[in-house]
Amino acid sequence: MATSLCMTRLQEERKNWRKDHPFGFVARPAKTSAGALDLKKWECAIPGKEKTLWEGGLFKLEVLFPDEYPTKPPKCRFTPPLFHPNVYPSGTVCLSILNEEEGWRPAITIKEILIGIQMLLDEVNPESPAQADAYNLFKKDRTAYEKRVRQVVKDNPAS
Amino acid sequence: MSDHHSNSPGAEKPQEPQQTEHLNIKVTDNNNEVFFKIKRTTQLKKLMDAFCERQGKSPQSCRFLFDGTRVNPTDNPESLEMQDGDTLEVHQEQIGGADAW
Repeated sequence: MATSLCMTRLQEERKNWRKDHPFGFVARPAKTSAGALDLKKWECAIPGKEKTLWEGGLFKLEVLFPDEYPTKPPKCRFTPPLFHPNVYPSGTVCLSILNEEEGWRPAITIKEILIGIQMLLDEVNPESPAQADAYNLFKKDRTAYEKRVRQVVKDNPAS
Repeated sequence: MSDHHSNSPGAEKPQEPQQTEHLNIKVTDNNNEVFFKIKRTTQLKKLMDAFCERQGKSPQSCRFLFDGTRVNPTDNPESLEMQDGDTLEVHQEQIGGADAW
């Protein structure tokens, strides 16, 4: 009945999100080509936090839920991949709360995941780099890193 | 083995078959929240104008989003598949290109 638990939870998450969600965030199940909702694949967007380098940007990501959800965490992937030290070249987010062996708990909601990722944008963890591009610039030339982030924000405007 | 989960995974509103005629919609700009009760078939223009008037904003300066998608004044809750309790976000209209850096 793993699938059923997964679906029940996802319907609950969707219901809660519709009722209340943080301003500027988007999270909705994708639609299949037939027009039905695909509850195991959500299209989301995270706004850059105010008063950070990322302010003014809106970053799209795909959240994929395995059959074993919520025992196992969903996979979150920026589409297109994001320039950030803790994001893999594939776009997949590297974050403790999304790791089954680390901080994932079945009680973590979609809202908490998305807010967690928003915080990660400005709170880089240089101890756990996932892509060389952003990591190297972050380590070697902070000014150039910040300039690059501003460009990323410009390329992904919230409007 | 039989699964009670008879509704298809795509059906989003399994437990509310009753289609009430009026919906409560929250409109928020992140500072103010206004609740409106409107009919499923009423154009959202009515609600958008009312919100702007109440907040002293011009409709041209506002962008209304539902589920991350821009809403047109001629849309109605039915066409957008809105449910009771859904939220409409109001963002400031902005124009790209102004280089603040």
